[in-house]
Amino acid sequence: MIRLARTAVVAVALSTAGACVSPEDDPSNVKDLRVLAISIEPPELMADDCASALSSRAIYTSEVTLTALIADPKGNDRQLRYELLACADPTDRNCSDAGDRTVLANGLTPAGELALQIRPGALTLSSGTPLLQRVVDIDDFHGFGGIRMPLVLHLFRGNERIYAQKLMVFNCRMFPEMTANTNPVIPGLRENGNPWGADALMTLQGSGRFNLSPEDFTNLEESYVVPGFDLTPVHLRESWKLSWHTDLGTISPTETGGVDLGGQESRQMVEWKPSGGPEQDVDFWVVARDGRGGESWLKRRAHYSP
Amino acid sequence: MRALAILFVGLIPLSAGAYEGEVRRRVVDGGTPEPVLTKTPELQKFVPAQYPTEAEKHGLTAIVHMLVTIAADGSVSDVKVVVPVGNGFDEAAVEAVRQFQFSPGEVDGAPSPVQIEYLYHFTLENQAVARPPPAPSTGVLRGQLIARGSRVRVPAASVQCANAPGREALSDVDGRFELSTAAGSCEVKVLANGFELYQAAEMISANEVREVTYYLVPQVTGYETVVRGEREGTEVVRHTLDRAEVQRIPGSFGDPIRAVQNFPGVARAPFVAGQLIVRGATPSETNTQMDGVSIPLLYHLGGGPSVVNAEFLNKVDFYPGGFGTRYGRAIGGIVDVETRKGARDTAHGVFKIDPLDASAFVEAPLGGSVSVAGAVRRSYVDALLPFFLPKDSNGGTLLVVPRYWDYQVRMDVGSTRQFSGSSFYLMAFGADDALRVVATGGGRNRDVSLNAHTLFHRVKGDWTYRKGNFASVFAPYVGYDSGNGTFGTTSAFQADVSSLGAREDLTLDIGKRLTLRSGIDALFNHLTGSAQLPLLAGTQYRGFPGAQPSVETQTLHRAINGLDAALYAESDFKAGPLTLTPGVRATAARFHGHDLHAIDPRLWIRYRLADRTRLKGSVGLYSQAPNGTDFDDPPFGTPGLRFQRAFQTSAGVEQRFGSVWSGDLVAYFNRRYDVVVSPGQILTNADGSVTREQFSNDGLGRAYGLELLLRHQVTRSFSGWLAYTLNRSLVRRSGGDDYILSAFDETHILALVATWRPGAHWELGGRFRYVTGRPITPVRHPHDTYSADANRFYPTDGADRSARLPAFRQLDLRIQKDFLFQSWTLSIYLDVQNVTNTRNVEARVFDYRFRQALNVPGIPILPLLGVKGSF
Repeated sequence: MIRLARTAVVAVALSTAGACVSPEDDPSNVKDLRVLAISIEPPELMADDCASALSSRAIYTSEVTLTALIADPKGNDRQLRYELLACADPTDRNCSDAGDRTVLANGLTPAGELALQIRPGALTLSSGTPLLQRVVDIDDFHGFGGIRMPLVLHLFRGNERIYAQKLMVFNCRMFPEMTANTNPVIPGLRENGNPWGADALMTLQGSGRFNLSPEDFTNLEESYVVPGFDLTPVHLRESWKLSWHTDLGTISPTETGGVDLGGQESRQMVEWKPSGGPEQDVDFWVVARDGRGGESWLKRRAHYSP
Repeated sequence: MRALAILFVGLIPLSAGAYEGEVRRRVVDGGTPEPVLTKTPELQKFVPAQYPTEAEKHGLTAIVHMLVTIAADGSVSDVKVVVPVGNGFDEAAVEAVRQFQFSPGEVDGAPSPVQIEYLYHFTLENQAVARPPPAPSTGVLRGQLIARGSRVRVPAASVQCANAPGREALSDVDGRFELSTAAGSCEVKVLANGFELYQAAEMISANEVREVTYYLVPQVTGYETVVRGEREGTEVVRHTLDRAEVQRIPGSFGDPIRAVQNFPGVARAPFVAGQLIVRGATPSETNTQMDGVSIPLLYHLGGGPSVVNAEFLNKVDFYPGGFGTRYGRAIGGIVDVETRKGARDTAHGVFKIDPLDASAFVEAPLGGSVSVAGAVRRSYVDALLPFFLPKDSNGGTLLVVPRYWDYQVRMDVGSTRQFSGSSFYLMAFGADDALRVVATGGGRNRDVSLNAHTLFHRVKGDWTYRKGNFASVFAPYVGYDSGNGTFGTTSAFQADVSSLGAREDLTLDIGKRLTLRSGIDALFNHLTGSAQLPLLAGTQYRGFPGAQPSVETQTLHRAINGLDAALYAESDFKAGPLTLTPGVRATAARFHGHDLHAIDPRLWIRYRLADRTRLKGSVGLYSQAPNGTDFDDPPFGTPGLRFQRAFQTSAGVEQRFGSVWSGDLVAYFNRRYDVVVSPGQILTNADGSVTREQFSNDGLGRAYGLELLLRHQVTRSFSGWLAYTLNRSLVRRSGGDDYILSAFDETHILALVATWRPGAHWELGGRFRYVTGRPITPVRHPHDTYSADANRFYPTDGADRSARLPAFRQLDLRIQKDFLFQSWTLSIYLDVQNVTNTRNVEARVFDYRFRQALNVPGIPILPLLGVKGSF
C-alpha cells in the first residue's frame, strides 16, 4: 500500500514529462480515411443457461447488424474496398492467422455508414471447429465474463489501409439480475447550450469559443452485473465515454466521460477550435461507448464562416 | 654552519597490514575503530648533519623535506627525501636523520610505527649548533591551534619561535601546546601539515605565561588531509566514497545515492532519477542500508533527493555484486552508508540552502566520552511552486504541494580509541513525504484530487565489545513505517508497518592466517492496513477494453507478518599471497504463514601476484524474499511465492600505479531466477472460479560484462576517476520466449569525474557521461490498427527491443568558492547540469495513430546555486 503512494507520485511526474511533447496529428481532427466507430445491434447475445454447451445456446447463432462509421473527407465519394473477418484471438488485431479466421463479407463501399447482416456465432473455421469454440479455447479466461469474438473490418484503397476491430460479446446469465446489453443512444447535442437537431444546419461564425455538449443522458446509463473471479456478482454502472470528431479544426478534449479510480466522473463538455480556412460546411461526429461493447453515434453538420 | 632540523607534522599512524608502506587509514567493519594517533613521537636524540663542503664553499643553503618512518621503538627505520635539492644536502640530511632517536609514537595507546614529515634547514652561520637541550624557561607561550573556518583542533603541529631556534612544541590531539622560550620577542612560526604557514609576533615577559589562540588557514577546505586508500580487505569489488567526495560530484545534487551511479556496473537511470540499476538488476534488487539497517523508502516523493543527508555520512560503500555473507536480502548489489560520529573537540555545524531544500547539521561533545550529531532537512519547493504554476483563466484551482523532510541523529558513548572495551551508539533516522494535488473547476473536464503521505522512522542501538582478537557488535533496531492517501472521492488507503530487527556480528582473529566471522541477521515486520477502493478490473473481475464504469467499492483490511532470519559464517584463510574466504548464509523466512528457506554459499579468492597487483574472483548464490504484501491472499497477492535467487560470479585484477593512481578491471556474470514478476498466471479452478495470480516467480535475468575503474585518490589538489562498463543484460519469463534485452540494457557506460583544487579555496569539478541509448521496440506503420471498443490505435511492433534510443552525452560542471572567516566558512557553489545543453532523448512517444515518432527530451541546461555555512 505504501507502493500505491509512490506509484501515484511517479505517475504524476511521468505524465508531466510526457506533456512536454505535442504531436501535430489530433485524433479529433478527421483529415483522411478513418473508421470512427463500429456498432453491432444487438451488442451482446446472452444465453440463459451457463451450464449448457456452447453449441446448444441457440441465441448465439442469431443474426446481428454490424454498422461501421467511415469518414473519408478527401475521398471525393470514392469507393473503398472492404472485407469483414472474424477470428479467434483478440490480440490478433488484423486477423492475420489464416487458420483461425473466416471471412464474413467483402465488397465496395463509399464513406458513411456500412451496414452488414451477419451471424458470427454460427461461423465455422476451415478445420471444421466452430469459431466460437476456438475463441473460448484460446481465451485465458475460457469465456469467463463473456466470450469476446473479434470482428475485424479491413478497409483499404491504394496505399491507405485500416484494420478496425470490434468485439462481439456472447454471454450467459450467471446471476438472475444479469441482462443483455443494449447500445447507448445520445439523446441530442447542444452548441453553446442551444439544441442542435439532426437536420439543423447550425451556423457558426468567427473564431470564438464553440462549446459542444450532449443532452443529459445520465438516466440512460445502465446498471449491470458481471461475475467476479470469486463467482460473486460485481455491480457496475455504465459511464459513457464520448469521442468527438470534426473535419475542420480540433475539439478539446478529444474524449469525455468515464470514471477514474478516485470515483471522479468526467464532465461532458468540449470546445471546438476551427483552424481557419474558407467558408465551408463542417461535419461533426460524436461516438458514445458504454464500456461493455455498446456503441452508437450522432452526426451533425454546421456551416462555418471565419 | 648550522643546520636546523624542523619537525613538520607527524600525522598518520602506520598500522599492521598497511599497503605498500604508504600512509593509509585502515577502515574495518564490525565496529573495529579506526586507529588514532594518541601520542606523538618526541625527538630525544638529535644528530647534527655534516654541512656539504662544496655547498658551504659556495654559500649555498637548503631545506631538505623528508618523510621519516619511526619504528615502534622510536628508532628511525626509513628516510625518504620528498623533493631532492641536490648539492649533497639530501645525503647529509638523510645520514643525520637516520641516527635520530624519538620517543615511540602511540596508536590507540600502544607503541606503533609512525610516519612524519621532516624539514632539515641548512643555514650558513658562524658555528654549527647542535640542538640544545631544553633551557630553563623564562616565559611560556601556551595556546591552542584551531583551523580557520571549521574550528577543528589541529594536532601534531610544530610551534616555535623562529628567532629562538632549538625550542619547539608540538600540539596535542586537542590542538593545545606549551612552548618554553626566552623572554622577549618571539617570532612565532606554526607549521602544520595541510595548513598554510602561520606567523605571529608575541612579546613574552619573564615568568609570563602568555595564552594565545591561533587560527590556521587550511590549504584545502572540506577535505581531510588523509589519503584514503583501500583497506587490505577481502571483497572482490568495493567502491568507497567519503563525505567530501559525495558532496562535490557535479550533477549529483550532493546526493550520496546518486553519487554511486558514477561507478562502473551502474546503468544510467532516465532523466535525473536516482534509481540504482546494478549489473542488470532492477532497483528493488539492490539493498541500500544505513549502518546496516535497510532504508525502506530511498527517495523523497518517489524520485527526488535520497533520504540520506550527505552531511551525516562518513562514507558510502558500494558493492555491485559478490558481497559477503553478512549482507543479504538482495540479489543485485549493496549500498552501505556509514554515518559519522559526533565531534570530540567542540561543537560544529553546517547549514545549507539550495533551490530544493534547506538542511542543518550539528555535532558536539557532551562531556566525558559522549558526543552527538544530528541532521535535519526540509524542502520548500511547496512554497515556491505556486509562483511557477500556470493560473487557470477560467477561475479553476490548481494546487501542487510536494513536501519532504528527513532527519538523522546519533549519540556515541565510550571512546573508540580504546584498544579493548566497549563502545555504544544510538542512532535514529527517518523521512516524511507528502504530495497534494488539487485541480478543480475552471475549464477542466475532470476534477483531480490526490493526497499521498509516507513516512518511516528507525532507531538503532550499536554495542561494540572488543577484547584482544575478538570483537562483537550487537545492533538491535526498531522501525515504524506509515503510508496513507486518498484519490478522488472513493479511494483511500492506510498502511502501517512495525519492524523489529537485530544483528550480531562476531569476529575472531586466530593468528595472522585465519579470521573467523559469524553472525545473525533477523528482521520481523508486522503490517496492518486498510483500503477503500473500487473493485479492480483485471484483478477481481474481467474488464472490457476502454471501459471506465462506476464500480462498487470495497473495504479491505489486512494484517501480514513476515520474519526473515539469517545465520552466516565466513572465514579468511591466508596462505602466503593467497587469501580464500569461503562463507555461507542460511536464511529461514516466514511470510503470511508461508515458510521459505535458502542456503547461499559464497567464495572469494584474492591472490597477491606482486606488490601492487592483485588477482581476485568470487562466486556465490544470493537470495531475496519478495515483499511481504506480495504473499497476500488472492486476488492481491500470491501466497506460494519463493525466494528470488541469483548466481553471481566475477574475476578481475587490481593494480596500483604509483601512490595515487589505481586500476580495477572486473569481468562478471550474473543469472537471476525465480524473480517475482506481475501479473502471474490465469488459472481456472475446478468450481469455475478464476484465480488471477498477481505475482509469480517466473522472471529470469542474465547479465554479463566488464567493469573498469581508474581512480586518482583524494589529494589536496585533485581527485577523480574514470568508470567504464561494457554490459549486456537480458530478461525473459520462464516458459516464455527467448531472452530479450532488459529495459535498461546500456552497452557502454562511461563516466569521467574530476575535481581540481587550484588553490585560494576554489574548487572546480566536472563530470562527463556517455551512455548507449536504452533499447526500444521499433514501430512500423504499414497500416492503421484500431480498436473500436477502446477507441485507440495499436502499433505494429518490430522485434522486442531491437532498436535503441540515441546515445546519451552530458557534461556537468561545478564550481565552489570557500570564504574562510575566523570561526566559520561560507561556501557558495554553482552546479550546472548539461552545460552544453545537449538535447538527449529520454523516451520516444508517438502520435495517436503511430505514424509520427516524437522524442521526449532530457533535462536542458540546469544551473543550481547553493550556499553553505559551516563552523
